[in-house]
Amino acid sequence: MRRFLLFLFLVSHSVLKAQTIPVSGTVSSEEEPNGFPGVNVVVKGTSQGAITDLNGGFSIEAPQGTTLVFSFVGYKTQEVVIAGPETLKVRLEQEAEELSEVVVVGYSSVERRDITGSVTSVKASDFQDMSLSGIDQALQGQAPGVQVTQSSGTPGGGISVRIRGVTSIGAGNTPLWIIDGVQVETGTLSLRSFGGQNDNALSLLNPGDIESIQILKDASAKALYGSRASNGVVVVTTKRGKKGQGKIVFDVQRGIVDPTHKLDLLNSKQLLELQREAIRNAGKNPDGFGLMSGVTDAVNTDWQDEVFRRGIMQQYQLSASGGDDNTNYYISANYRNEEGIQLNNSFQRMGAVVNLDQKFTQKLTVSSNFNITRTLNKRVKGDNFLDGVYSGAVKSLPYYAPFDENGFLVGPGSSEYAAFPNFNPVAQALLPRFDAITAKLVGALSATYKFDEHFNLKGQVSVDYNDVTEDQYESSQTAIGGYLENVGGQGYGVFIASTATNVNTFVTLSYANTFAKKHSLNAFIGSEILQSFGINGNVEGRLFPSDDFTYITSAGIVDNGSSGKGQSGLTSFLAEAKYDYDDRILATASFRTDGSSNFGPNKRFGYFPAASVAWRISSEDFFHVRAVNDLKVRASFGFTGNERIGAFGFLGTWGSTTYNGNSGVSPNNVANPDLKWEVTRETNVGVDIGLLEGRIQASVDAYYNKTFDLLLQHPYASTTGFTGVQDNIGEMENKGIELAISTINMDGKLKWSTDFNISKNSNRVLFLADSVPLYRGYTAEGSDGTNIIKEGEPMGTFIGLNFLGVDPATGDAMYQDTNADGIINNSDAIVIGNAQPDFIGGLTNRFSYNRFDLSVFFQFSVGNKILNLAKATFVNTGADILNNQSVDALRRWQKPGDITDVPRYEFENTFNNFHSNRLLEDGSYVRLKSVSLGYYLPANIASKLMLQNLRVYCSGTNLWTYTKYSGADPEVSTLDGSVSAQGIDFFTLPQVRTLSVGINATLR
Amino acid sequence: MNSRKRILTSLFFICAISSCKEVLEPEPIDLLVDDIVLNEIKDVPNVEIGLYNAFRVITPATVIAGDFTADMLIHNGTFTQYREFSTKQITSANASVATLWGSIYNTIYIANFIIERLPLVPGLKSAERDRVLATAYFLRGYAYFIGYYTFGPIPQVLTTSIETNRNIPRATDEEMLQRILDDYTFAIGKLPTDPVNAGFAGEYAVRAAVARFYLYTGNWAQAEAFATDVIDSDNYSLVPKFSDLVTKDFTPEAIFEAGYSIADDPGTDGNVGLNNLFLGRREIIPSNQAIVSLASSESGDRFSSITFDINNLVGNDNGWSVAKYGTADEDNNNVMVFRLAEMYLIRAEARAQQQNTTGVNSAQEDINTLRQRANAPTVGSLSQNQMLTVIEEERKYELAFEGHRWYDLVRTGRIGSVMPAFSANWKTTFERWPIPQREIQNNPALAGQQNPGY
Repeated sequence: MRRFLLFLFLVSHSVLKAQTIPVSGTVSSEEEPNGFPGVNVVVKGTSQGAITDLNGGFSIEAPQGTTLVFSFVGYKTQEVVIAGPETLKVRLEQEAEELSEVVVVGYSSVERRDITGSVTSVKASDFQDMSLSGIDQALQGQAPGVQVTQSSGTPGGGISVRIRGVTSIGAGNTPLWIIDGVQVETGTLSLRSFGGQNDNALSLLNPGDIESIQILKDASAKALYGSRASNGVVVVTTKRGKKGQGKIVFDVQRGIVDPTHKLDLLNSKQLLELQREAIRNAGKNPDGFGLMSGVTDAVNTDWQDEVFRRGIMQQYQLSASGGDDNTNYYISANYRNEEGIQLNNSFQRMGAVVNLDQKFTQKLTVSSNFNITRTLNKRVKGDNFLDGVYSGAVKSLPYYAPFDENGFLVGPGSSEYAAFPNFNPVAQALLPRFDAITAKLVGALSATYKFDEHFNLKGQVSVDYNDVTEDQYESSQTAIGGYLENVGGQGYGVFIASTATNVNTFVTLSYANTFAKKHSLNAFIGSEILQSFGINGNVEGRLFPSDDFTYITSAGIVDNGSSGKGQSGLTSFLAEAKYDYDDRILATASFRTDGSSNFGPNKRFGYFPAASVAWRISSEDFFHVRAVNDLKVRASFGFTGNERIGAFGFLGTWGSTTYNGNSGVSPNNVANPDLKWEVTRETNVGVDIGLLEGRIQASVDAYYNKTFDLLLQHPYASTTGFTGVQDNIGEMENKGIELAISTINMDGKLKWSTDFNISKNSNRVLFLADSVPLYRGYTAEGSDGTNIIKEGEPMGTFIGLNFLGVDPATGDAMYQDTNADGIINNSDAIVIGNAQPDFIGGLTNRFSYNRFDLSVFFQFSVGNKILNLAKATFVNTGADILNNQSVDALRRWQKPGDITDVPRYEFENTFNNFHSNRLLEDGSYVRLKSVSLGYYLPANIASKLMLQNLRVYCSGTNLWTYTKYSGADPEVSTLDGSVSAQGIDFFTLPQVRTLSVGINATLR
Repeated sequence: MNSRKRILTSLFFICAISSCKEVLEPEPIDLLVDDIVLNEIKDVPNVEIGLYNAFRVITPATVIAGDFTADMLIHNGTFTQYREFSTKQITSANASVATLWGSIYNTIYIANFIIERLPLVPGLKSAERDRVLATAYFLRGYAYFIGYYTFGPIPQVLTTSIETNRNIPRATDEEMLQRILDDYTFAIGKLPTDPVNAGFAGEYAVRAAVARFYLYTGNWAQAEAFATDVIDSDNYSLVPKFSDLVTKDFTPEAIFEAGYSIADDPGTDGNVGLNNLFLGRREIIPSNQAIVSLASSESGDRFSSITFDINNLVGNDNGWSVAKYGTADEDNNNVMVFRLAEMYLIRAEARAQQQNTTGVNSAQEDINTLRQRANAPTVGSLSQNQMLTVIEEERKYELAFEGHRWYDLVRTGRIGSVMPAFSANWKTTFERWPIPQREIQNNPALAGQQNPGY
């Protein structure tokens, strides 16, 4: 280093004496052998420069002896000293190949090629042009073994990420998210239910600030996270400044947002005919129900059209980064506003990031990360709520209209108001104020002290602070604020404030050495403390003087409020050693012990060891296969845990209660002093292979993970006075296989590369205490629930009656009388399917030609079933006459001899609508998840605009879908985040299709 | 060397951090640990409130059982559990069924907890101890009473041992009746005659419960005697205006009612409060038969138990609502357990069964007491059978939506004549509620013990 500085000094010293001379030449590269246009040529230390033309040529005046710097994004910068007037031929080389990429895997980093565990990387370039509201969305279809499902098309809404299946029933299945070493909050932050669709803490982080994401999948990669690692770990590294000339990047993306699909429902005339028939079939007179042909159906509203809109998405980001030998900086600010496809629904985010690194001395380096974000989520109700917007619209009777003849919204009190259970979804969208304002602050300060060439001490202190304020008012013209009589019909206001804070401190002492040139050792020990605090409060008010007064100060009655606090902590000790023998044998051993406040003194500490070994066969002397550049086999084994249950579950406790104006205590929880960790034993074997000089890279992994001591409510008969106890009562397994292939198919003028991944995971519940099945999901007529957790079956198993079709003679549904007792009831319910897919994967093709680049990304899921529970309402066979019906109802049985799959409609007869596999559908799909086409403007045009680089692009998401699913969208989960009842469609808002254009400009 | 010392120091620091005690043992927030719940005198009222809190959940579920299983209510909403009652397709997965069963045993658990632990609390005066114990016995007895007449014999839980109570069979009919009577008998004479308000059980609440017990078991003389006790106590009086009973809590007529305020009604039946079911969502509305009956001249002012709103008259909705469970801004949604009018009805029936139908101190006099209050025509001389029919109707007018009808029809044996006319789906199966499916699944001793027909 010192030598380099001296050299620089000498060079710059000589500048003073030099005369300028003309220099010209051409620049080429392997990819552009006939001339590389747009390369930046600068006289070092000055602002003087040029850009290569279309043939790669340049000419410039420069002092003799000075240095010319040739740079282009994605290529190694080259420097050439000018000896005299000459014609230079410069050949640029592409920046480091993946083989030597250094990845951050938790508490340490490692060269990608030396990884002994199962780690998948997702780079910023994999998702750069997609319109993403959160960083979790970026993983979809990109990594084998990672299943990402967006629960609905709600902007800023819930997304479920499952790494290698489901490992837990009761203690959470969300992976651990570590951003620059900081554990961040995941899941929902809001405290009020919106009918199934939650908000999402990860949407508070801007995908544009991310450099790369590593997904740690097997024990050896993640065991260092111990008790939090069972569900996999996602390690996110944000962008940091790099040494070199500073650059300013400006990104703009704007687009339109539309629903992917609209449901086919009946119009007024069709529905009226159907309802009259249903009532007649029940032996009643339809006229008595006020269902008059020509009167009732005089109004015909398409409620979906009324509540849907075309949303506008816009996103801006400005960042500045750079650095020198001692200081690096990355500063960025971003703004995004996405209007949802439902009226009045939008998600707005603004944030800023400051990442700094400062080398104080040769020994001490200090770094900081600072991320502050504010979002404004204008929410609307959905799914399970009768007064939801989309969920209300698809059910609402077309006989009613959103506006009266004077153009005013129809509300409670108006004779044109449909009332229960149809609450004018347009008013439900436009009138309530459901603002969730979220602020997130992630701040970290870390310091590294280098004792000598072997020992390094690193410490980091961080905080992840999340604050949610929910400002809500439902006016007197809404269902809750106006229609519900027990609320009082004069508005309903709610104010909720809550914070969730994670404070994290860790220290590691590491040691690195190489012995006898062949044995290299990297090891560290460390300790960590993690504390989580939550505090929240809410207050409700009603009886407002008018809808001009919408804050609780003005409420006539404030009779509901609460506040609470929660706290938990984790202390840990961890150690790891990595050994590398001559680049041939790589071995890693790690160990972590965690103490968690969520467990009683008997079982407070958990121990999580792991070990892995890899053999790089391609480095052995005997290996002489020319086509194979890299061949490595890996194996790992270890234990991880899950501690995510509520605090104090091990104590028998009583909580506060009230009766008749007095307060007292009532039993809360049964003591279980032996409550302990869920432990997953993970085994993984894998092969990494690089063929044809890296043109083909493939990884195959196979794993078997068994989870013991599942944390779950152990159901008790109510005769105990309790419904159950938190206990370790089950076992579950996940086994699977994953394949990822990256190929460079063409690398001439036309470049074409492909990334493909596919994975299969099989999940099975092996054991449940007392072998008692657990019912989950929704209640249903004809079964004890829509879902079951049962020994031998996977999570997400659906149960119901076996629908045998429609009796052509009577038009009634026929169900299998499984227990042959002559009665069709709950006990005839059987397993009818499963929400877990057989295969998932993604396929990305990237092309570039000249200045054009094109990326086409497909994502697929095969073999998963969807419970179209909405059909129990849309094709309700006459159970009620309060909901619109699907066009499927037109196929109903009407007269003896009709052969159909839709039973007879009879008013108030629920038998034909019992819960059965009539509602279960194949949810497989292939989706063109995103396409983007970009164009780099010629360098001379860019430079005229004072830009180093200017790329324009257009992109689209969810452009095309192939599926047999009859509902609105196959990517659906009304119970956002649920593992036992995933894949249920219950009036869930479909995904959105986004079309956008963008500009990506780099200022010189 | 210096460097090595620093490395060792940092090593020590690393080990020190990982054994930080404060992080691992935070204080429980707003929770009491089992062992300290009932140790001192000051703990007693808190646990007593906990007992009432558990008990009161029984009462709205009893309204659903008493009125909805019979012919008083129909479904007007979307919840499956209520549709099952309306269409008489009740299943063992019904959430209201599970709510009632659970609330019965929650009450019994806390009662048993008090019975086991209270005698160990040092320094408690014996009168106070007896009073609290009597409350525990009385509410446990009431829980068994409702349980027995809803489900038939149910498991008899007399301890707080979870191991015992996880695997416990049904008792016999005799054991059930004996248990109820024993619990009530224990409580007699130990509770104040004038509790703070009718939200808490007093001496006459126990006597009223015993009167009802004897009515149900057909011990007419005792039923008459205990009802007379309550009527003659002069602690209670019929409110002159029937509609006050509909709109107000704690009227002079109330002997015992489950205290609810809107603010502390977190949902009483499968997480939905009666106020919300009858008024907010109008998930459940009066049946046409109930409306006709309450609108009759014999019903008189009892018509005020329901209200009509033309705006609700759409499709299947007859526009009527149950009015007994509060309005939006008034704290009047208590659930009645015992009131004086029921004592008149019990005595009338007991007297009629003893052939004392007309004249002084007869069934006729009791019925006319209620008729006069309701501004309805009085009854004249009637035969025993006629009188029993009048009483059945009178109970329907007077006690509508207070959870009686189904229990009355079952105990009098009239259910087989009344219900098939109301619903074609009616079966004798529905004379009892099913044991909740999950109880049979989780309590091995109940395997194969489901009520017939479910």
